[in-house]
Amino acid sequence: MSESFVPSAYPDLSQAASQIVGKDRVRAPRESESRAATLIVEPASVGQISTLVRMCENDHVTLAPMGAARTLSMIRRRPVVLGISLARTNRIIAHEPADMTVTVEAGITLGELNRSLASDRQRLALDPAFPDTVTIGSLIGASQAGPIRLSEGRVRDLLIGIQYVGHGGRVVRGGGRVVKNVAGYDLMKVMTGSFGTLGIVTEATFKASPIPENYEIAIARFSNPQDGFVAADAIIARISPVHIEVLSMDAGVALGHSEDFHVIAGIAGNAPELEYQRSVASNALGSATTILSGDEAQTAYVRLRDFAFPENSIVGQIAVPPNELSRCVRGCNAEFRAHGGSGVAQLWMEHGGATDVQAVARWRSMARSANGNLRLLAAPASIRDSLAAFDQPGPGAFELMKRLKAAFDPASIFNPGSFVGGI
Amino acid sequence: MRRRSLSERTVKIQMRHYRDSGVFLKPEGACAIAVGTMLQSREVDSEQNRSAPLDAGLIRDIDRIMRGEGIVSSPSELRVYECDGWTIEKSVPQLLVMPRTTEQLVAILRALYVGKIPFVPRGAGTGLSGGALAIGAPVMICTSRMNRILAVDIANRRVEVQSGVVNLHVSNAVKSAGFFYAPDPSSQMACTIGGNIAENSGGPHTLKYGVTTNHVLGLQLALPHGELVDIGGPTEELCGYDLTGAVVGAEGTCGIVTKATLRLVREPQSHRTMLAIFADVESATRAVSTIIASGVIPGAIEMMDQLIMRAVEAAFHVGFPDDAGAVLIVELDGLATGLDERAAAVSAMMRADGAREVKVARDEAERALLWKARKRAFGAVGRLAPNYATHDGVVPRTRLPEILRLIVRTSEKHRLAIGNVFHAGDGNIHPIILYDERDPDQVRRTIEAGREILRGCVEMGGSLTGEHGIGLEKMGEMPLLFTPDDLMVMSELRRVFDPLERSNPNKVIPRPGGCVEVSAPHRQAAA
Repeated sequence: MSESFVPSAYPDLSQAASQIVGKDRVRAPRESESRAATLIVEPASVGQISTLVRMCENDHVTLAPMGAARTLSMIRRRPVVLGISLARTNRIIAHEPADMTVTVEAGITLGELNRSLASDRQRLALDPAFPDTVTIGSLIGASQAGPIRLSEGRVRDLLIGIQYVGHGGRVVRGGGRVVKNVAGYDLMKVMTGSFGTLGIVTEATFKASPIPENYEIAIARFSNPQDGFVAADAIIARISPVHIEVLSMDAGVALGHSEDFHVIAGIAGNAPELEYQRSVASNALGSATTILSGDEAQTAYVRLRDFAFPENSIVGQIAVPPNELSRCVRGCNAEFRAHGGSGVAQLWMEHGGATDVQAVARWRSMARSANGNLRLLAAPASIRDSLAAFDQPGPGAFELMKRLKAAFDPASIFNPGSFVGGI
Repeated sequence: MRRRSLSERTVKIQMRHYRDSGVFLKPEGACAIAVGTMLQSREVDSEQNRSAPLDAGLIRDIDRIMRGEGIVSSPSELRVYECDGWTIEKSVPQLLVMPRTTEQLVAILRALYVGKIPFVPRGAGTGLSGGALAIGAPVMICTSRMNRILAVDIANRRVEVQSGVVNLHVSNAVKSAGFFYAPDPSSQMACTIGGNIAENSGGPHTLKYGVTTNHVLGLQLALPHGELVDIGGPTEELCGYDLTGAVVGAEGTCGIVTKATLRLVREPQSHRTMLAIFADVESATRAVSTIIASGVIPGAIEMMDQLIMRAVEAAFHVGFPDDAGAVLIVELDGLATGLDERAAAVSAMMRADGAREVKVARDEAERALLWKARKRAFGAVGRLAPNYATHDGVVPRTRLPEILRLIVRTSEKHRLAIGNVFHAGDGNIHPIILYDERDPDQVRRTIEAGREILRGCVEMGGSLTGEHGIGLEKMGEMPLLFTPDDLMVMSELRRVFDPLERSNPNKVIPRPGGCVEVSAPHRQAAA
């Protein structure tokens, strides 16, 4: 495919890129990649990425890093020209089990990394859905998290060092490989959640965490969402669960449960701690609580984590102060998966034509009613032009963000036009 | 640049900015920094603006803003503000202002902006890296009177405070509801939230709970030209770049934080605070690695060596044996049930690694005594020598035995007593070098020893600072950790907020066009 493929708008680009990465490493986009980029290159090193960036800057070619291209293909209205696949830079550079730190190249998937760490009873404690499709680059770029964010934190809490290729092809490092470090400005925070708009993350160092001993799940059904949220709050008020998810009917059904609202709490600890937490959870959740342990708990957790939103739906994520979550989610009139205690929920509804835009507007106004925000995670291409994927921050903050973008990407080539306010 | 020169200054680093060649030169040859196009286009205030006597009209304007109160201009009173917790460098500001309101602070910034006057923000002045020194900044703005707790929101585990609120006051305000603010630097009775945010402060309990940046959700920031911006917010997910994450730890170089939304942590149901006694530091550090590797994350693991122990025992009578080589203070916290089992497991690990005795604090009073001993260890050391210099470095925790051996060698080589009291669980060391400042040769050796230890940290894969910040003290060492490109990008990030570099100039990143003289890292205060 690569030999015959020449994107029409940039006849020389394919050839120029071939000279940098090799002819067989330039190819046409596959499947969802085509929404993200018109041409894909697969560099093998930071040096090649740096050269590609310089080339793109000189020729005003837009580019974006991509793992499985999921995030970009969902939010971009039009593809960038060059997609930088990090698939070939996927090594674990160093894992120090006793120091509980791990340094990896950005192309490795979270799934592969965690299989490796598991041999030392450790993990990178971030659990977005389908970890085998989530590269470390996209984990950082989109600041992805899942149910255990409640107990383990987010990318910004676990990322302690970074390397990226920035404008001019500069290879830049921030942080380091130690768990406590305040030397220099925090470039990790700047890159986290920047959606590839400031540079291409090539390497990252994280704190690793112990895999919890004796993990169990408590599941309960509710006939209405409010009771579910009240029960979840009652648990959080007394113990610190690993996660506590509140699910709408469709979400519960999709996970193989009954047509009810569900609360799914994870607990962990030594034997006496588990017993205590089990009783707290059962008291709050009611007599019909099911407790799963061992392999059953693991299986249930993986299904909970790998929740797939229905095809052809609009998916959004609201973030509000935690005690506003119940009110806001209920006001959105959508199916939902809510991360109790974190104030974050994903909402979805079937793509239905004219009403979509109004529905998203309703979600947005519910989030704003609690000083929160909405981000669209997926929307059919046909309606993307009429929806903003991100809420716009306040004017002062937005001005700073524009300045940050201009400072880090003066040629405006890094994934331009699809981040907040068109950055 | 005006600087008070100290007689014992032995290290001098000069940096000149050659605009044409695009190169910084450090004459001693330690680094040569290539400067890209960014720097060529930026406006830099002339040195004149940074050191000339303040214009009388400007002082009158500020006096009017302050209504004649909270403004200090007499040289004798200003002497109090000549340094922070890092006492070797001193520089007296020309004017100190202590606004009570955000409006006053903004008005002052606007006046300074028009007058092209750089300024230095200051909290309580407990910083340990010279971050609050008025170097090339004639005006000092102290936020300690902006000290109101604005909102306590227990339901959302948030609190909104002005930046001058004292760290411990936040925890005190939410204690009755069963919550606390987790970052707990040893100076927490005095240091302010604004200062903590500037330095991204830590403390013993950050091992489990994280440092300041993990607990700041949003900020109100007064930009150097006097505009207030709200960044971050009350929610865990935000739209746009993590500006809050960029400002926390920026050491006051992005403007002045006026307000912060902080995360609260629920008080654990119970604690087990243990004192484990070891024959030597080697076995104590081995025990630290064993505990962490087992998957247990204690609230804190702190170590003291013999020198520190003896000083602490003399001051507080904690019951440290005279002949032990090292002690660990290990605190476990969490649910009351199951905690005794965890404590027993940790105790067994420590015994297996050579602890000859493990005592568990029997009540809150005993626990409080242990923590008092730990947090005031620095003060206790004051009994041992006329002066001491506290350092801050980080190594991967498995390299602790190695860095401690290096410290012993350094101590022998320079014939100086060095004590160690530090956050062992994080690999964050605080060697304390004892010396007598009346002996210039001892001062010189103290400076040398400190640098050798820091260099050792970096060579072992660690960092120059775990919680005290770069400030003025370690600017010269930054090239040990970062390349010229890294440093240039960091400068670019800072100029997003402060394009003219007027907020706390001459800190963190060696400043082009400036002439910075750095003497030694060395101060006397709690860490």
